[in-house]
Amino acid sequence: MQNEYVIDVDNVYKSFNIYYDKTNTVKERLLFWKNSRKEKREILKGVTLKIKKGEVVGLIGVNGSGKSTLLKLMTQIIYPNSGKITTKGKLTSLLELGAGFHPDFSGRENIYFNASIFGLTRKQIDERLNTIIEFSELQDFIDNPVRTYSSGMYMRLAFSVAINVDAEILLVDEILSVGDEHFQEKCFKKIEELKQEGKTIVFVTHGLSSVKRFCTRAVWLHQGQIKRDGDVAEVIKEYVDETK
Amino acid sequence: MTIFKKIYDYRELLKNNVKKEIRGRYKQSLLGVIWTFLNPLLQLAVYAFIFPLILKTTQPYYVIFVCVGLIPWTFFTATISQSTWAVIGNANIVKKVYFPREILPISIVTSNMVNFLISTIIIIVFCLVYGLGITKYIIFYPIVLVIQYLLQLGFSLILSAITVYFRDLEHFVQIALMLLFYATPIVYAGDTIPEAFSFIINYNPMAHIINAYRDIFYNQTRPDFHSLAIVLGISLVLVIVGYFIFKKLQKGFAEEL
Repeated sequence: MQNEYVIDVDNVYKSFNIYYDKTNTVKERLLFWKNSRKEKREILKGVTLKIKKGEVVGLIGVNGSGKSTLLKLMTQIIYPNSGKITTKGKLTSLLELGAGFHPDFSGRENIYFNASIFGLTRKQIDERLNTIIEFSELQDFIDNPVRTYSSGMYMRLAFSVAINVDAEILLVDEILSVGDEHFQEKCFKKIEELKQEGKTIVFVTHGLSSVKRFCTRAVWLHQGQIKRDGDVAEVIKEYVDETK
Repeated sequence: MTIFKKIYDYRELLKNNVKKEIRGRYKQSLLGVIWTFLNPLLQLAVYAFIFPLILKTTQPYYVIFVCVGLIPWTFFTATISQSTWAVIGNANIVKKVYFPREILPISIVTSNMVNFLISTIIIIVFCLVYGLGITKYIIFYPIVLVIQYLLQLGFSLILSAITVYFRDLEHFVQIALMLLFYATPIVYAGDTIPEAFSFIINYNPMAHIINAYRDIFYNQTRPDFHSLAIVLGISLVLVIVGYFIFKKLQKGFAEEL
């Protein structure tokens, strides 16, 4: 089991069409068909990445290097133009927290709705409800509508749901800026715990210190290709030298 | 057949979504769910006034006659027009999280089915009040319902996916539904159509479905199984074709929205 690849990214290409003025209706297309300019932007150019069960991988790279796109491809929100991505096991993304939160519903109701988006059944949510509420430290506010929450409280609730889904694979995008120092430390601890449990985690971050702290492997993406892949300290050292 | 497993795994989301659709529709309206009844009843009142009194329709029990056509028709139009928004209206979650996207059109059809089931009470009440009564033929009601559900699911899959790429579809659908209302024997009886135009009804699956409901509640006979079987066949083909269209197009949803 240790050597099994749980994420297998095989020679993946991804490009986006950038429209300068997108026409969506027939009327617009007829009137402005000459002006519809678009540009193809290649984000990923042949990325191959195999991740084993239990690995904690930090994806680093400058803005626009394709880190987040790669993560989105892994979650199957978007699909590659060519190449193949296979993942094994339940996967949760902490990409966009609080997706589907409804401001008029209470925190508790939103836990149910949000967790169901992650594919949990009623029974599973019931079992986790207390853990989620406890983790968010929102006991006193959990029955208030979410619109009355501060942005910090909102993120805390969203993070608590996502982290307690019990996924085999966790995709994390720059979220460790959630809440205050105290809550951040708690998140770090939780991730450490998940790491000990043998979950596979992929981080996207600019915070090199958190990569150093958690990751067992670092992957440096540069202009849509993998530039370096391997030992955390070495990759980070090269990355820092290069981008200085 | 992994799609069935996927949808089963996400059954809680489906349930929540259906609830949200039903609850959300009348949220912040004073009369709330009463609108489920009030809407068809008010329409019914208009037809029951215009046709017998002004156009001198001689159809006996005209109120029941229209009611049996109008309520399944409302189920159809509501589903079809909401389907064009099924994916677009959920852009915020489609762009952010993975879940089987098929949940969205399925929720629309299912939530409208729940409304239809509630509205069927109106048909039954009218049948009882006017002394027509309910007969054993009501056992065919669930069969017709399932066929109508499948037919609409097929359309819903196709429309919800294509509208993401082609927003105009929404407006075409509105016009098509309006025309289809007159091409379906709702306010008139199918056999009053001149021979030259009877093909319009013959090729209209909704006409056969409404005729079936009418046989059950109004004519109180066995529905025409032959035409129902054909409609069922068409519906199954639509669901399968719809599934593949949806599957193909859903890959671009997050980028297109």
